[in-house]
Amino acid sequence: MASFESRLEESMRAGVVKTSREQLPAGVERWLPLWEIASVVTSCLIAEWAVFVFIGRNKLIMAIPIGLAFALMLYSHWERGEGLRDIGLRVDNFVASCRLLFIPTALAVILIVTFGWLTSHGDFGAPWRWRFVALPVWALLQQYVLNGFINRRAQMALGAGAKGIALIAIAFSILHLPSPLLALLTLGAGITWGFVYQRAPNLYALALSHSAVSLTLALTISPYWLNGLRVGFKYFG
Amino acid sequence: MKLPSTNLVNALIGKAILETLLVGSLAIIGFLMVLPPSFHGWGEVTDHGVAGWAVNSGSPWERVEVQLFVDGKFFATQVANGSRPDVPSALWALDEWHGYAFEINSLSAGEHEARVYALRTSRQATKKSLQQVGTPIPFIVGTDGIFRKPPGRIDEGWRR
Repeated sequence: MASFESRLEESMRAGVVKTSREQLPAGVERWLPLWEIASVVTSCLIAEWAVFVFIGRNKLIMAIPIGLAFALMLYSHWERGEGLRDIGLRVDNFVASCRLLFIPTALAVILIVTFGWLTSHGDFGAPWRWRFVALPVWALLQQYVLNGFINRRAQMALGAGAKGIALIAIAFSILHLPSPLLALLTLGAGITWGFVYQRAPNLYALALSHSAVSLTLALTISPYWLNGLRVGFKYFG
Repeated sequence: MKLPSTNLVNALIGKAILETLLVGSLAIIGFLMVLPPSFHGWGEVTDHGVAGWAVNSGSPWERVEVQLFVDGKFFATQVANGSRPDVPSALWALDEWHGYAFEINSLSAGEHEARVYALRTSRQATKKSLQQVGTPIPFIVGTDGIFRKPPGRIDEGWRR
C-alpha cells in the first residue's frame, strides 16, 4: 500500500497538490481533507433534517448551515490556493468530459424512462414545472459540492481511484436519504460522476448530465416512488 | 496550489462549534414553540366529574382549551373560561375566567384516573400538542354514582 508521502507526491504530479507542505503536522494534514468532507456533509444534513424537525420550512434558518458549508469550502480553496480551473469550472476539457458522460447518462435516462413507463402503465402524467428551468444551476451547485470539493478532498486523503469514488458516492447517497430509490440512484450516479471527474474534471458537463437525469426522474417517475424528489425530513411530509 | 495552514483547522473547529450552537438552539426553540412551559393548572374531583383551572402565563388573557382523558382515553374537550376567583388571588392569572368543569357520566364503579391537558396550536395550525396541566386526578366512583377522592389525598398544593 502506498504511503501518504508517495500519494502526496503522486497528487502533486497530477496537479491536485502542487507545492511543498507547510505548517500542519503530517497526521493532521493527512486527515484534514476527510474532516472537511465530514464537515460539509454534516452541514447539509443539519439543513435537511435538524432545521425541518425543529423549526419546519424556514429557508432563512436553513441558509445558516448551507452558508457555513460554502464559507468553509471557499476558505479551503483559498487556503489551498485552488482556482476555478482547478475545481473544474473550465471549458478546455468540456468535450472530453461530455464524451465520458454521454453513454452512462443516456443509459440512465433510458432506464429511468423504462421504469417510469412500466410503473405508470404508460401514463407519465407528471406536470412540467417552471422551477425545472433552474435545474442546471441547482445541478451545477450540487456538482461543485460533490466533485469540485468532496471529490478533490477525497483524492487528497485517499488518492485517485476506487476508495475516493466510493466515499463521494456514499456521501451523495446519504444526503438523499430517506428516499430509498433516490439513495440507490445517487449511489450509482455518485460513482459515475466521481469516476468521470477524476478523469476529466469539468463541472459544466457534469451539471448537464445531472440536469438530464434529474429532469427525466421528475417527469417520468411517479411521486409514489420518489415523493417529488424530496430528501431529509421533508420526505415524510 | 499549496497545502493549508492551521487556520483551516481553526475554521473547521469554529464551524463545528457554530453548528453545535445552532442545532442546540433549534432544539430549544422548536421545543418551546410546540410545547411551551407556560401552561399551568390544577384539577380535582367533584361529585360528578372533574373541575379545575388552566392558564397560559405566556398569554394571560387567553382562554386555554383543555381536554379530559379518563383512564387514558379521550373523554371531552372544553375552553377553560369559567369563573375561578381563587386563581387571580393566588396570582396565577390576571382575571378569574380560567375555570373548567367536566361532568363525567357512564363510568363504572371503582377506581379511575383523570388527566387534564392543555391544547396548544402552533406552526400556522399545522401542529397541535397536549400538555398535562396539574397532576393526575385519581378518584373512586361509588355504587351510588358519587365521585370521591381516594383516602388521604390532599388537593391544595397549587396555591401560591
